[in-house]
Amino acid sequence: MSLQTKTIQRYRQLFPKDTLREVSARTGIQITRVFRLFNGKNMKVGELEAFETVIEKKIAENPSFSRFSTAMQSASSLLTNDEIARLAEYVERKIAVKHFSRGYVSLGQADAIIA
Amino acid sequence: MKSLSSLERIVLECIGKEKLNYSKVLENSGLHENVCFNILQALIIRGLLKTDGSQYWMNTQISPLMEEEINSLSSRQAESLEFIEAVIEKQSDRVFKFQKIALDDRDEKIFKAMLTNLETFLVDCHKKSQAVTPVKSRKVVFWGMGEVNALMNQMITGVDA
Repeated sequence: MSLQTKTIQRYRQLFPKDTLREVSARTGIQITRVFRLFNGKNMKVGELEAFETVIEKKIAENPSFSRFSTAMQSASSLLTNDEIARLAEYVERKIAVKHFSRGYVSLGQADAIIA
Repeated sequence: MKSLSSLERIVLECIGKEKLNYSKVLENSGLHENVCFNILQALIIRGLLKTDGSQYWMNTQISPLMEEEINSLSSRQAESLEFIEAVIEKQSDRVFKFQKIALDDRDEKIFKAMLTNLETFLVDCHKKSQAVTPVKSRKVVFWGMGEVNALMNQMITGVDA
């Protein structure tokens, strides 16, 4: 998967309901250009940076992410190799379940989308 | 992650030694259709399942290396942890008890004998009903015991001393 596709996917995960107009407003990229980028047109470096900046800002709003990053940094220097391997396995398993459940909308989420 | 996730193993257990179509796997596993489809695809890509487009069956010619990987002790432990965590996080219809109990030697022997009886009972139950109970309706049962001091030391050192 290309960096551009990953970035757009990540953006969509964080802003699943954004319209083209809203994406344009957040990133400062023209709406017609956003449409083209979402349809596979190659991004310029500046456009990629604009998306990355929005993603980073959104992530920074989540205190758990910052905690997680700090914990991982501490873990890498303090824990034994076996313990790190177990943590990695644990996180990878959580991610795998998320991958399997892509496209799955639970009843609660469906209500939220309809509302 | 090279080992199996609990969800993948459930799908493999549903298929077992049979050839099943998608709706039968769905019915046996109780998974949401998207999730079930994604897992089947993942298992085919990993070479653990085969399909002719309508039916799925286990690949019986997987490499010993892969077999070792998916059945290794560490991956089975990680799978157990996933289920135990799910039981602990369950909000309703949950049976879970965790206690630190003072047991003298005699009581510990009695307790272990009771556990052996319990295990025999569960094995018999499974033998009796496994043919008619789909994987989705089976129960996850687990138990364990350890000495507080030994467990604390293990937590501190990261290894079982």
